[in-house]
Amino acid sequence: MKIFMSKRMIACDEASFLISLREDRKLNFRKWWQLKMHLLTCHLCRKYAKQIGELKYSMEVYRDGCSHDSCSHKLSPEAGSRIDKKLKRDLNAK
Amino acid sequence: MSDSKEYKLDPQKWVERYGDYLFSYALGRVNDSGKAEDLVQETFLAALKARERFRGGSTERTWLISILKRKIIDTYRKKYSSKESAFGSHEETVFDGDFYRSEEPFSGHWLEGRGPNSHSILPEGELEQEELVKYINLCIENLPAPLAAAFIMRMIDEEDSDTICKELSITPSNLWVMLHRARLRMRECLEKKWLS
Repeated sequence: MKIFMSKRMIACDEASFLISLREDRKLNFRKWWQLKMHLLTCHLCRKYAKQIGELKYSMEVYRDGCSHDSCSHKLSPEAGSRIDKKLKRDLNAK
Repeated sequence: MSDSKEYKLDPQKWVERYGDYLFSYALGRVNDSGKAEDLVQETFLAALKARERFRGGSTERTWLISILKRKIIDTYRKKYSSKESAFGSHEETVFDGDFYRSEEPFSGHWLEGRGPNSHSILPEGELEQEELVKYINLCIENLPAPLAAAFIMRMIDEEDSDTICKELSITPSNLWVMLHRARLRMRECLEKKWLS
């Protein structure tokens, strides 16, 4: 079985797209190989891959940090009572 | 017959119990406290109308959040549909002329200053969560609207791609390109923020 290795080298635009894509789905062999080959010789895209990983980490911190009180925002008392009044009015109208 | 707990609704206590939580959730996604307040109110009122249909299978909180989520997606759709290019018009080509060279030689390479500069987009030393949250909010605000929707749904709401595509009426290929473009911009924005 002849395995054809794509001789086409990809440039940074495709490489950075693949770096993004592999966050969301598994790359097929061809794409994985092309990216690997590109990263061997391109320090900018190696940096990019690292930073996209950091972005993912940052979003995790953002998400988890905001699920407990230290980072959550509160309804202003005015808004809270305004909404509560409207809700109770509609509740009693039924 | 069933041992599973059946949840009941208690609208009298909704604002007190869930007002802040829903507000915080909405604010994280629409970045505007007035709009967030409106969304919270709309959610409670819609939930009130729909309360006969509540089956008790989930908690009040989960149920209310699901209503809020749908309303947030509606605001994305409304905001980005007719005027600007609709979601689906993000071409399925990878190339983004803002970031990469379009001409030979070296077409497809990073444009000067649009690629990574420093080694890290995180600050040195302890990661200040509050600052990070602030900068991420700012950077998301700067994203073009359709990209923000896709990025938020994927990276904050952690929706799977099928759900996002269905909600935004896009193909998976559109989605991958949109996420890529969002990441390009988020990375650049955060790198600049921490450097300054």
